[in-house]
Amino acid sequence: MSNAQIEIQLIASLVAIACAIPGTFLVLRKMALITDAISHSILPGIVIGFFITHDLSSPLLIIMAAASGVLTVVLVEFIQKTGLVKEDTAIGLVFPALFSIGIILIAKNANDIHLDVDAVLLGELAFAPFDRLSIGDTDLGPKSLWIIGTILIITLGLLFTFFKELKVSTFDAGLASALGLSPVVMHYGLMTVSSITTVGAFDAVGAILVIALMIAPAATAYLLTNDLKKMLFLAVVFGVASALTGYWVAHVLDASISGSMTTVLGLLFLLVYLFAPEKGLFSVLYRQKRQRIEVSLLTFLLHLRNHKEKEERHVKHLNEHINWQKVRSKSVLDLALKNNMITIDHDIVSLTNKGKKFTTEAIDYIVTNKNSEIENMKDRFFLFRG
Amino acid sequence: MSKKIAVQIDDLTVAYNYKPVLWDIDLAIPEGVLMAIVGPNGAGKSTLIKSILDIIKPIAGSVQIYGKPYKKQRSLVAYVPQKGSVDWDFPTTALDVVMMGTYGSLGWIKRPGQKQKKAALEALEKVGMLAFKNRQISQLSGGQQQRIFLARALVQNASIYFMDEPFQGVDATTEKAIINILKELRKSGKTVIVVHHDLQTVPEYFDWVTFLNVKKIATGPVKDIFNDDNLTKTYGINYKVAVSQ
Repeated sequence: MSNAQIEIQLIASLVAIACAIPGTFLVLRKMALITDAISHSILPGIVIGFFITHDLSSPLLIIMAAASGVLTVVLVEFIQKTGLVKEDTAIGLVFPALFSIGIILIAKNANDIHLDVDAVLLGELAFAPFDRLSIGDTDLGPKSLWIIGTILIITLGLLFTFFKELKVSTFDAGLASALGLSPVVMHYGLMTVSSITTVGAFDAVGAILVIALMIAPAATAYLLTNDLKKMLFLAVVFGVASALTGYWVAHVLDASISGSMTTVLGLLFLLVYLFAPEKGLFSVLYRQKRQRIEVSLLTFLLHLRNHKEKEERHVKHLNEHINWQKVRSKSVLDLALKNNMITIDHDIVSLTNKGKKFTTEAIDYIVTNKNSEIENMKDRFFLFRG
Repeated sequence: MSKKIAVQIDDLTVAYNYKPVLWDIDLAIPEGVLMAIVGPNGAGKSTLIKSILDIIKPIAGSVQIYGKPYKKQRSLVAYVPQKGSVDWDFPTTALDVVMMGTYGSLGWIKRPGQKQKKAALEALEKVGMLAFKNRQISQLSGGQQQRIFLARALVQNASIYFMDEPFQGVDATTEKAIINILKELRKSGKTVIVVHHDLQTVPEYFDWVTFLNVKKIATGPVKDIFNDDNLTKTYGINYKVAVSQ
């Protein structure tokens, strides 16, 4: 690996970490869309900052961009408060307006600088090592590494300091307010950090892909854990892993780095969405199927208990008596047999003692409105699940 | 019997978009009562609690908690919001939610430690939820979630408890358990204020009641003022239909 390659990967990793942290809270606050708005509407801030300083790497650009990011949030909330339109509409109104102001400003006054629209939208990580910070003759490394590194340190500092406040105001803003832990300050603090991070990441990955780095790792982590700290940790891990994998995919395919990173993020989310142990699509479908069979089994056992007459208990007639279109009768019969709930003698089904006991208990729970207990009961009685 | 006034509200007016939801409320809640706030939908019951707690800014009027503004008396007050006001899919456990009740006394930046954890565990035990302390909150039933919220308020060890519809969507067992804890709180001298929907249980559960419908209709002991007259004034002529819903 060349020095430049190491530097690019380092920048990409830091960007991923810096994005994943505010991203986690944005996802939990159901504000994913607002990053989309911020990432676009910081443009006029950057452009105006550039007009003032004529220096693309001036800290003023970051401050101006953060200010226009916060302005976006304020405007969105203002429009929303009029009660005339909903939040998504308000977001859709605000950020194109600000973004287009930025575009016009560039086109009119800054045609000759690197602030062209492509770079703004997509960024170019490959060029990052060329823009270096040096004092005298000493080379201190790429500028973007310093910028994102500083932002990351500030973000981490704020996260550790205000973790408790962020958590409670995200979960229950009303309580946070009543306790005197101002959720409004937390809200705008988070928006400011998100805006600053977006600017810092902007150079490396551009305005569109920064959204992916904020939202996708957090959304992926959300599917895997029930613990906020673990969610933050996993989001960071997924962000960095996708950034590094994406870099090498781009290397092999000779394609855009930011594009490859985002593709990897998308694939990672898809994998987790399909295969996550609890919230994943397949395990949800599996649980639903099991639930369906087990409910049918219970219905079937209740039917047997209520009917002593042989014709009601004949295997052939079961389909008519219980609504079994959805579940194959055979799988229910098999499950009942495997669990020693029934015996079949010349096609006549009877409850075993265990089956009788199970059914009696189930009825008790049903009539006393304790349906949730039935799940525990299944654990006790079932040798095999549906 | 003269009692100290726990909550004093004067001329409180709250408006959303210039439309008043609470109109010139005067209310004095004596210390040590278990009070229901009743009124039809949209009467401003939740808004009243939220403006007492400074969550909503009123356009006029003042609220005093034991003679001082709420901001100076936060430590005396605990709040149980409506269960539906939070996202129960939030990645956290029952114990952690209860610990949030200690955040107020901790103040900014400081983190909860062993002492806070112990208090939270005790509160969980009081509401019969100790066994569920590490359960993810989305995997709790509605009644269990409400108990967690109650435990979070108990851990604050406050003097005044505000609860927004604590019986909404809970099973009968939980309702009994909650009301017993509230009655115990009153016995130990605390003031408990509950937004309540079920008019039939008011005489059984509460000793004090406030009728509210944008304006204050009446406030006082249940045995004196919980009558047809005030119910009609609050809910309109067909209040019995409203009750039976």
